[in-house]
Amino acid sequence: MVSVTKRDPESPSGKTGSGTTLPDAVPAEQPVPSSQEPDQEQGRPAEKHGSGRPLTARRIMLLGRIWTRRALILGLRITRLVVTALQHLRPGLRYLWKSLLRRWRRSLELRTVMMTILLSVISFAVVGAYLSNQIANNLFQERLTQAESESRYYVKQVQDTFDGAQVNDQSSVITLVYDTLNTVEGNGSVIQRRYVFEALPEQNKPRNRWVESRASDQLTVRVIPPELRKSVQESGKEQYWASTEFPVGNQDHPGIAVGNKVTFNGTVYELYLLYDLENAQQTLDQIQNVLWAGGAALIIMIGGIAWYVTRNVVSPVSHAAVVSEKLAAGQLQERMVVKGEDEVARLGASFNHMAASLQEQITQLATLSQMQQRFVSDVSHELRTPLTTVRMAAEVLFDARDSFDPINRRSAELLYNQVERFQSLLSDLLEISRFDAGAAVLEAEPQDIFQLIGQVIEGAAPVAAEYGSEVRLTSRNKSIIVEMDSRRIDRILRNLLLNAVEHGEGKPVHVTVAANHDAVAVSVRDHGIGMTPAEAARVFDRFWRADPARARTTGGSGLGLSIAAEDTKLHNGWLQAWGQKGAGSNFRLTLPLKKGGTIVKSPLHLEPHDLRLPGTAPEQRVLVVDTQERQPRLAQAPSSDTSGRTDYGGAPGAGEAGRA
Amino acid sequence: MKARILVVDDDEALAEMIGIVLRNDGFDPVFCADGGQALDVFRSSKPDLVLLDLMLPGSDGIEVCRQIRGESDVPIVMLTAKSDTSDVVRGLESGADDYVPKPFKPAELVARVRARLRPGEQKAPETLRIADVTIDVAGHMVTRGGERISLTPLEFDLLVALARKPWQVFTRELLLEQVWGYRHAADTRLVNVHVQRLRSKIERDPEAPEVVLTVRGVGYKAGS
Repeated sequence: MVSVTKRDPESPSGKTGSGTTLPDAVPAEQPVPSSQEPDQEQGRPAEKHGSGRPLTARRIMLLGRIWTRRALILGLRITRLVVTALQHLRPGLRYLWKSLLRRWRRSLELRTVMMTILLSVISFAVVGAYLSNQIANNLFQERLTQAESESRYYVKQVQDTFDGAQVNDQSSVITLVYDTLNTVEGNGSVIQRRYVFEALPEQNKPRNRWVESRASDQLTVRVIPPELRKSVQESGKEQYWASTEFPVGNQDHPGIAVGNKVTFNGTVYELYLLYDLENAQQTLDQIQNVLWAGGAALIIMIGGIAWYVTRNVVSPVSHAAVVSEKLAAGQLQERMVVKGEDEVARLGASFNHMAASLQEQITQLATLSQMQQRFVSDVSHELRTPLTTVRMAAEVLFDARDSFDPINRRSAELLYNQVERFQSLLSDLLEISRFDAGAAVLEAEPQDIFQLIGQVIEGAAPVAAEYGSEVRLTSRNKSIIVEMDSRRIDRILRNLLLNAVEHGEGKPVHVTVAANHDAVAVSVRDHGIGMTPAEAARVFDRFWRADPARARTTGGSGLGLSIAAEDTKLHNGWLQAWGQKGAGSNFRLTLPLKKGGTIVKSPLHLEPHDLRLPGTAPEQRVLVVDTQERQPRLAQAPSSDTSGRTDYGGAPGAGEAGRA
Repeated sequence: MKARILVVDDDEALAEMIGIVLRNDGFDPVFCADGGQALDVFRSSKPDLVLLDLMLPGSDGIEVCRQIRGESDVPIVMLTAKSDTSDVVRGLESGADDYVPKPFKPAELVARVRARLRPGEQKAPETLRIADVTIDVAGHMVTRGGERISLTPLEFDLLVALARKPWQVFTRELLLEQVWGYRHAADTRLVNVHVQRLRSKIERDPEAPEVVLTVRGVGYKAGS
């Protein structure tokens, strides 16, 4: 198959067997796509030309404009559709993204597998690129070496043939050149190399130069890269090469062009031999395909392996997590499944061992606690029944004391009073032991705390009257509903109020109530003898008395405040004491409004406001005792006095610094 | 006529002491030291009130309470050394009207007994209605749709107290004072347990009461 360039006026058709030449009538048609059906190729443009070119052009332009507009509109619509869809899908997408992120954070398995796959992909990409590059290079180099040596050989042959030619007439020159060049293409049905033969431009045209250019089928001088041509044209006898692409059949094939100069009849020609690299390219493509497929398969396999291995390692761990969560939730019989003798099995075995010993200890503690409870309950019954008899008998005797002689009368009185005391001591002891055994249960119900406080104040009225104290209730609220065990809160408040009255030295006792959105506070303030910090620190201790000598007369078991503290703890509340010698004391009970709630801040101050008024005790250090934190902390009460002193202390210092 | 009181207690000293106190206040005590025989003694003596110790040999005090309640509406006052919530509530739920925790004062015991024995002062014929329940106060009868509902005297008193003032919300303390006769604050669980017992008898659905309504944080009131 041979194509003739446009400058060849006499097309010698029939020179090659299957070749067909294009007629001179279509010189404008530049690249001939296929020489298989030359007549059709040639016919169609001719028809178009005949049917009026300007009209068609205008129609095409119009059509083009319409289609452009339609495409634009379509594009806009699609964009709008996508945008709306995205807007609608945004919550869903966000949810998907978030759940994916959560999965990523929470699943070690997923993370490991994904990281493994990612790293494998990167390493495969690097290795694959390197391999493919190496192979391509080697293939090319091999072909290039071959091409260069072949070219040298054939160029020499062509030159030899030209040099030894004894032809003068036009047809024999053309025949010689064409035949010589055709032998370059190689023998056999497969073309081994193609050529482009072109006279060097810018030289004097000799008279007998009948051959301007010649090329293998489908080729023109355009397939030769200009750089190569330039190198060949400017050089002497050297051989040059360059990569290029040229049409073969319907496709462009990659190839190597090797350029040389040959002389014929005093004319210098450029002779390019083109070697088809399509086979090499195909081999490379195949190798690359194999690499791709192998890489993908390997990555999938590595992902699978990573998943399997991670699963094997992680699943015992997550199993352990599940089991320990169940254990923590109280299912003490829960155990891990142990298989084999590896590290995981050891983990499982030691975990099970730990769970077993935990279960044993917890069961033991539970049994102990139950026994303790039983014991307390039994002792309570066993002690109370005779005590009841004794008490009733004592009371019968006490009621009849007027008919006794003085000695018996006093005895009856003592008996009666001490039985009372014994009873209150016993009931307090039993209450405390119930707390210690963990048998105390909170029976919380919503109730108005003012109702309770009213009862407590009313109940304490006779005692208050006896001591000459006045109990004043202050609050901005009218009603505060608190979820509480009213029996316990009643007990706490009664204890605080009676204590305040007893230690208040006849001065008024202030009960203040306030609430914020999560807590209610009741403070009981007396202005009596007060407490020293050391005393306030121990006020919730069992059987502790501020003044042992005094306590005997006042009575009480010495457990009242301890029980109050335990009752408060049961409510998840705070019970705190503040005291100052000579300035009285303040007890503040803070309770969460809802059962099981937490207190952020108490609505009332522990340290009373009235302390800041001028004329109070000069001692400003107060001790704050908190049932939550047993460590007493010393707070510096802010006072005008000390702040004044601070100002004084600062001024001279600054003056001195200025002078220095 | 002296009111007869059956004292069921295994502690002889205490029983004797209770006997002395009761006799001193003009009651006629009958004793039984064994829970297993309590029901027989109850049947033969026909007491006006039972004082029952919760911890008894032979038969559990709670069981005895249930047996007596099974055949009579006679007031039962428990004597209990276990002031733990669960025991008290169990006793009340088994049918006791009131309880006295040990150790008690003689006056306290007598007051409890008297409160439960309050002679049914001649009540004027009076008919009250709450929701679809009709109460015949003089006839001591509660009916719904002509069908008689059997209530113990205490439950009846509780219902009447609520029905007489349907506009008023009763606090537990107020009910304790009016129905049980407590002057000072006492255990409000008494009220809770008896309201539940009352509801289980008169409400169509005790889970969604219509006759005795709970006013959250305050107490109870009659339904309209």
